[in-house]
Amino acid sequence: MLEGAELYFNVDHGYLEGLVRGCKASLLTQQDYINLVQCETLEDLKIHLQTTDYGNFLANHTNPLTVSKIDTEMRKRLCGEFEYFRNHSLEPLSTFLTYMTNEFPAQEVCTPCSQTLVTMFLRVQVNFHPVKRCSYMIDNVILLMNGALQKKSVKEILGKCHPLGRFTEMEAVNIAETPSDLFNAILIETPLAPFFQDCMSENALDELNIELLRNKLYKSYLEAFYKFCKNHGDVTAEVMCPILEFEADRRAFIITLNSFGTELSKEDRETLYPTFGKLYPEGLRLLAQAEDFDQMKNVADHYGVYKPLFEAVGGSGGKTLEDVFYEREVQMNVLAFNRQFHYGVFYAYVKLKEQEIRNIVWIAECISQRHRTKINSYIPIL
Amino acid sequence: MGTPLDGGSRVPIGCPAKLRRVTRKKVAPDLEGWLSLAKARYAMGAKSVGPLQYASHMEPQVCLHASEAQEGLQKFKVVRAGVHAPEEVGPREAGLRRRKGPTKTPEPESSEAPQDPLNWFGILVPHSLRQAQASFRDGLQLAADIASLQNRIDWGRSQLRGLQEKLKQLEPGAA
Repeated sequence: MLEGAELYFNVDHGYLEGLVRGCKASLLTQQDYINLVQCETLEDLKIHLQTTDYGNFLANHTNPLTVSKIDTEMRKRLCGEFEYFRNHSLEPLSTFLTYMTNEFPAQEVCTPCSQTLVTMFLRVQVNFHPVKRCSYMIDNVILLMNGALQKKSVKEILGKCHPLGRFTEMEAVNIAETPSDLFNAILIETPLAPFFQDCMSENALDELNIELLRNKLYKSYLEAFYKFCKNHGDVTAEVMCPILEFEADRRAFIITLNSFGTELSKEDRETLYPTFGKLYPEGLRLLAQAEDFDQMKNVADHYGVYKPLFEAVGGSGGKTLEDVFYEREVQMNVLAFNRQFHYGVFYAYVKLKEQEIRNIVWIAECISQRHRTKINSYIPIL
Repeated sequence: MGTPLDGGSRVPIGCPAKLRRVTRKKVAPDLEGWLSLAKARYAMGAKSVGPLQYASHMEPQVCLHASEAQEGLQKFKVVRAGVHAPEEVGPREAGLRRRKGPTKTPEPESSEAPQDPLNWFGILVPHSLRQAQASFRDGLQLAADIASLQNRIDWGRSQLRGLQEKLKQLEPGAA
């Protein structure tokens, strides 16, 4: 229901919406990609990127240029843009854009606390709205925990963490031995605290449990994000809810596909599926029982939107399921810009920019490995 | 192909064509392996497949076993770490086993299989990462085959040079 979104939106958010639409227009075009795939070396790639909106972002890097450096610099650039949006945003857009930094209003619970206080804290946190940054924070927490398992130094891993997911308690993550330690000592004041209540059953932080923890955290975050968008209503809900439903269904399919032949049981697998989306609940129940790709495809055939995606897997281009899902995601995010006065444009822009980074990194990998047969397997956006 | 000399000594020169074929075969899985790793980074994220995920010290899953083949040539074979190489299981080893008895074999100590390196990157890894592992495994076996063939060719060449020298020495005498 358009309850005045078009009347009041521009007062608080018009400037930023204009800015994000300008940023979207600077995404690489098909012609830019054609120029990039013709490059012979990474230096050529750098020169071609200088003619785009990226400009001289690699100017400070000396030889040899590597794919990892290109990826890091592009992420920094995206982070800079996102921080600008966040710093200039007002509520509720700022809540949509960011969850908690040092200023997040949870200081009343400032010390590791007893179970009673934890419960009170969680009740308070339910009303705060998790946002995009939480997914990067989850990735950083898992990266640090994996690093602790491999006995890496914290400094080494901190340098590799996603800049959009930084929070002050990050450095202490690696000292935790159980999820309880992790929650009580470290994450209780962060936006990730509400998502931990579903993940406290694992006892030790080994590889399997870290994987379960990562997926359950992400599931909780996604469900909370969906609830926030739905409660917000308006055009934001109309644009964001289908995108998040697709994300939930995609996670269910990919978790199922990657779990074949592993030690993850069907029961554990089912607990990782987000409880919303087109597949929820009947599709998820069938998916939990699938034992191979064909059985998974049979489940997808019941859904008009997923049947053609699964049929596109394989084919002459050798597309994987991840590829077809990325293509679908790009389509949905481009369509988000067809409507005005909603927050979905910010989410869509970040997602499209991430796809652009993936495309450029893929082209750079093919160039550096001198393996050009699949260099055109990127996903064009504009 | 051989060179009869002094009572019919024959020098098998080796199979350069076979070496080229096997080398080409090795290059393909290596290229596919690196590209599959790049695909895995595409799916999982660039920082999810890299040096951060594995420790600086690791136990090998496979070992290179060198054995002596005919003509004293060294032959290389890739074996699983912890598995006894075929040449070690001979009469001597069986004799040791008879003396010590089955309960005293070292098997319990080496029964702990090395962890699958795929688990360093998580439990739910994409298919491309598994493909990369399979490609690099194939590449390893081919590398051992190439080394064995190269040894054989080098031996053949040195034998041929030796025989050519002998021939040179004989010819002025004959003239």
